[in-house]
Order: sequence, then C-alpha cells, then structure tokens
Amino acid sequence: MVRILTAALLAAALASVSAAEEAPARYSYVFGTDVSYVDTSGHPSWVAGSAGKLRYDADSDGLTVSRVFADYRLRIVDTLDLHVAAEAYDDDIGDALDFTQAYLEWRPLNLSPTRYRLRAGAFYPRLSLENRGPAWTSPYTLSSSAINTWIGEEIRVFGAELLVSRRPAELGGAHSFSVFGSAFRHNDPAGGLIAWKGWSVHDRQTRIDDVLPLPPLPQIQPDGWFWRQDPVFIPFQENDGDAGWYAGAEWQYRERLLLRGLRYDNRADPTDVHNGQYAWYTEFDALGLQAGLPGDVGLVAQWLAGETVMGPVIDGAHVVDNAFSSWFVLLTKAVGQQRFSARYERFDVTEDDDVYLDENAEDGRALTVTWLVGITDLVNVAAEWLEIKSYRPAWAYNDLATTRTERQLTLSVQLRFRN
Amino acid sequence: MTGRAVYHRVAAPGLAGLAGSLLVLFAAFAEAQGISVTVTDSNGMPVPEVAVFIDSPGTGSRAAPGTRAVMDQVNERFVPHVLVVQTGTAVDFPNSDIVAHHVYSFSHPNHFKLPMYKGNAHPPVSFEESGIVVLGCNIHDNMLAYIVVVDTPMFAMTDADGTARFTMPVESARVSIWSPRIRDPEERLTVELAEARLQQPVAFRLEKSLRPPHRDGTEALTWSEY
Repeated sequence: MVRILTAALLAAALASVSAAEEAPARYSYVFGTDVSYVDTSGHPSWVAGSAGKLRYDADSDGLTVSRVFADYRLRIVDTLDLHVAAEAYDDDIGDALDFTQAYLEWRPLNLSPTRYRLRAGAFYPRLSLENRGPAWTSPYTLSSSAINTWIGEEIRVFGAELLVSRRPAELGGAHSFSVFGSAFRHNDPAGGLIAWKGWSVHDRQTRIDDVLPLPPLPQIQPDGWFWRQDPVFIPFQENDGDAGWYAGAEWQYRERLLLRGLRYDNRADPTDVHNGQYAWYTEFDALGLQAGLPGDVGLVAQWLAGETVMGPVIDGAHVVDNAFSSWFVLLTKAVGQQRFSARYERFDVTEDDDVYLDENAEDGRALTVTWLVGITDLVNVAAEWLEIKSYRPAWAYNDLATTRTERQLTLSVQLRFRN
Repeated sequence: MTGRAVYHRVAAPGLAGLAGSLLVLFAAFAEAQGISVTVTDSNGMPVPEVAVFIDSPGTGSRAAPGTRAVMDQVNERFVPHVLVVQTGTAVDFPNSDIVAHHVYSFSHPNHFKLPMYKGNAHPPVSFEESGIVVLGCNIHDNMLAYIVVVDTPMFAMTDADGTARFTMPVESARVSIWSPRIRDPEERLTVELAEARLQQPVAFRLEKSLRPPHRDGTEALTWSEY
C-alpha cells in the first residue's frame, strides 16, 4: 500500500512540477514539524508497549520531534483533487514515514444550488470538529480530545463518501444542510484498542501500515483466552470481506452554529480472526456542535457512544461486549496572534459481558489547557498542560496502580511551510 | 475585515482633468436637488449596507466601456459581501488569500465559473444582464457574496445612518432597495417618485425583522474542512 501511494505521490509531484509553470495554483502543500519539550508523569506509555494513556513517558519525554508531516493537494483538473497526508514519528511503530490519508476528491460544479462531493481512497470520516487543519492538525490544541484521538488511532475509511449539500436562497443563504454517507472496508479490527488499551489523549495518528503495540495483557498471551491475537494490533485490515458504512447529516447556520450527527457501523464478523487480528464488530453514534458564544469565544463539543463486540456467542452473549462513550467541551478564544483554549472531557468503557479475565472497564476525565502564539506565518509556539485521571482495573494485570492521574506538559515550536 | 470596492472610470488622458472639473461643478449644482433614501428596520433603526438604485429615464442603462469593480477574497471571505454594479461593468476577482479559490455563480443569466486560482489570475467578468448574482467558492462552502447588477448608473450602499444620497438631477425616479438581510416582499422595496416629490427624502420602513448580518460569525473557530 505504501509503495503504491508513494509512487502516486511522486507521480503527482512530478506532474505538479511540469504543470506549475502553465497555470497558477495547480498544487498546494503544507509541510510542518512540531519540535517539543515534553515532561510527563504517568504510567509507562502504550506507545512503548505498556498501558499508560499518554503518548510519552519517563523514557521518551524530554526534547523530541513530535511530528513531521506533509499535506499535499494536486489539482488534477479544476474539480478533481488528489489529497495526501503523510506523517513521520520518532517512535518504534511502523515505517519512519507513512501516509495517514490519500484520496481523490471530486467537486463537480454543476451550476445548481445542490452540491455534490465525492471522496474515494483512504481518509477520516466526517466526524472531528477539532482536526480541521492540514494533515488533521487542530487549530486549538496540540493533543486531540479522547474522541478524536481514538478516531486517529483506530478509524479510517478505505472506500468512498458522498456528500450532498444545499444552501437555500429562500433562507437568505444563512443555512446550509448536508447529508453524507460512506461505504468502506479495511476497518474490521477497529474497537480492539478501545477495549484493550482504552481511551487516550494525544497527537499521534495511526498511519496506514502502522502496526501498534498492545498492552501485555494476560488474555492475549499464548495461554490466554484470546491466544489467537498477536501481541500487536493492526486496525486497518479487512477480515470478512463485508463492507461497513457510516451516514450522517449536518446543519450550519452562518459562521455561528454547526450541528453534525453520524452513525458508524463497521459490520465486522466478530468471530473472524485473520492475520493474528480479531474482527471487532463496532458501531457508534456521534454528535458534534460548534458555536460562537458572546465575547467571540468559540465552543466546540462532541459526544460519541457505541459498542464493540468480539468473539463467539456463549450463553447468549459475545465473549467480549464493551460499551464506550465520551464527550468533551472545548472553549477557545483568539486575541491577536494568541489563542487560548481549554477542554474538559469524560470517557468510559463498561463491561457488558461476563468474561472476568478480560476486564476492559474504565472511567476517566481529562483537562487540557493550551496557549498558542503565532510568531510569524512560519512559526508558532505553544504550551499545553494535560491532566488525565483514570480508573482502569485492567492496569492491575500489569502491576500498575488502577487509579492514576497522568500529567503532561508540552512546550512546542511549530514550523509550517506552505506554497 | 472590511473592504472597499474601487471604481475606475477610464477616460482619454486629455479629457480626464476636464471631466473631473465638470464633475465637481455638477455635484455642487445637484446638492440642493438630490434624492436621499433612508432604510430603517421594523424597530425604526437604520439599516446599513443596503443596495439602493434609482431607475430614471435618460440616465443610460449600460456602464461606460472600461468601467471596473472589484470583488476581493480575503481570509476565506468575499469582500465586499454585497457589490452593486451597472450592467456592462467588468468585475475583477482577485484572490488575496494564500489558499486557492474556485469562484462560481449559478445565478441565471449571469452564471459563470473561474478556473481555480491564487492571486489575480483571470481577466474580469462582465455582467451584461441585471439581477442578483450569488457568488460561491467550490472549495470553501462558507464563502458567500452578492453582486447586484442594475440598469442604472444611480446606485449606492446605505451608510451607518441607513442613508444613501444621490446628487444627479432627474425628472422622475423609481427607487429600489435590496439586501440579503431583507425579508419584506419585493413589491414593498420599490417606490415611484413623481417630479413633485423628488425633493423629499425617501424612507423605507421594513416590516419584517432582518436576517442577521453575514459577518455576524465568530473568528474564534474554523468553519471549513481543510
């Protein structure tokens, strides 16, 4: 997959070089990096193969390159774009550089009030109200909310999405209504991470060929209940050949209010094991709201709740049956070149099965406070304080305290080059 | 976030000075006999940024050749939000943003689309038919603006006092107003003025409440997908 995409990107880059002289804006790119000083206190990180919720821990914090990314759009014709995003991370997961998204977007201009957009390829579902910058960055905070961190970890669409929107002239152009739907494959293991690792708050997105570590849980050991599971986790693979879907609707009132709702269902066969990965039958509902408040304060809020099941049915219930939910409220205010944001969130996983040796429940909350300063068009500096308090009984499997407040201070210099 | 439409009247170089002097004399003459148009909302408050245009016999329906106007794109918004031009005016669509825009209108019969671009890449678009032209960007769904194309050189936008003043002397006039914020029926937005009433101020008192102004959004949030 990576080779194909790399070839496509190189071809696109060559095409854009040859096309650059004849017409303006044949392509656009943002190339960025976040260089950070990180100080943490918490459990050893899940990224290093343990079970802590933070991306960094005592071994990996300090001075680090949090991410290097490229977001590139090639205008094949006026209404057809190739959009790719790639990330490089300084950790032991996957290739040094890999794609997070790669898709074609077709925006026909049919000179009618109804507008259509079709995306095909690998991309994020239309869900996050935080990650709206290039390469899925957030303009508000460094780390994403628990909801969008999870989307970044486990959810990706390998398929197509159609969006139909309309802004009725009778309403003065103030209202915009959209519906969207998608069919996709290659997301059958999604759900495994929220059960076995739980919610997290960080800024690492799973790239297309990433193989993630799993916490060293007893149930996935060779003598455990789920011995067929490899000790690593691959969220983007097809197990059973059945397509999943999501569909949703959106209403926007000027630049004051946006409401979005969607339902996701990966239609995975929870009894299937392929390539050392269980399929997890995962469905969820999500709601998003953003609004301008008095004092030019911006509000972003999302809610997500769903269920994931895995394994055969025994005594009328799947072996693993976990419900999960989370919500956050983010307030943000821009003052000149500075932006202040604060986010509070809650998250939980509840056990709806009776398998006592696979305890996946958790309950937690997080607070994130971020200060961003734009120094020039090229350079931002940021400071972020993050505190997650969780109760997770499964931490006892690995001799970690089951209640823990994990903290992370991040000081970051962000460089953004663009054409 | 405010912008200004700049109008260039092109005249032969030798005549420019003379034309300017004549314009000053003309303005002084007309001051006494101008038409003043005021728009107030249902609460009696003045309504700024309303397009006002006056049709009158003998004023000429098409703009002089070379008449230009500008609809800019700044911070993913069109500037201005409402632009009034006379038929035959060539409107430039420069892109002052660092991102590309893809400007179009599906308003019959003035529909058009410009290839996607940055900077000032395209020749201006001439609007030959009167009517409302709704503008959009195919990349940024939130971008919205209007060009009001009128068959008269007598047009203006109301100021902060809800007032537009016209200095050209006319014998009779049909005064019309338009704004995307106004919800009153169209027949209430035009008045015919006979000669006897030309000296009196024209007042439009709207009955229905206004829609909020377009720029009444928040800068604190991002509204488009990247």
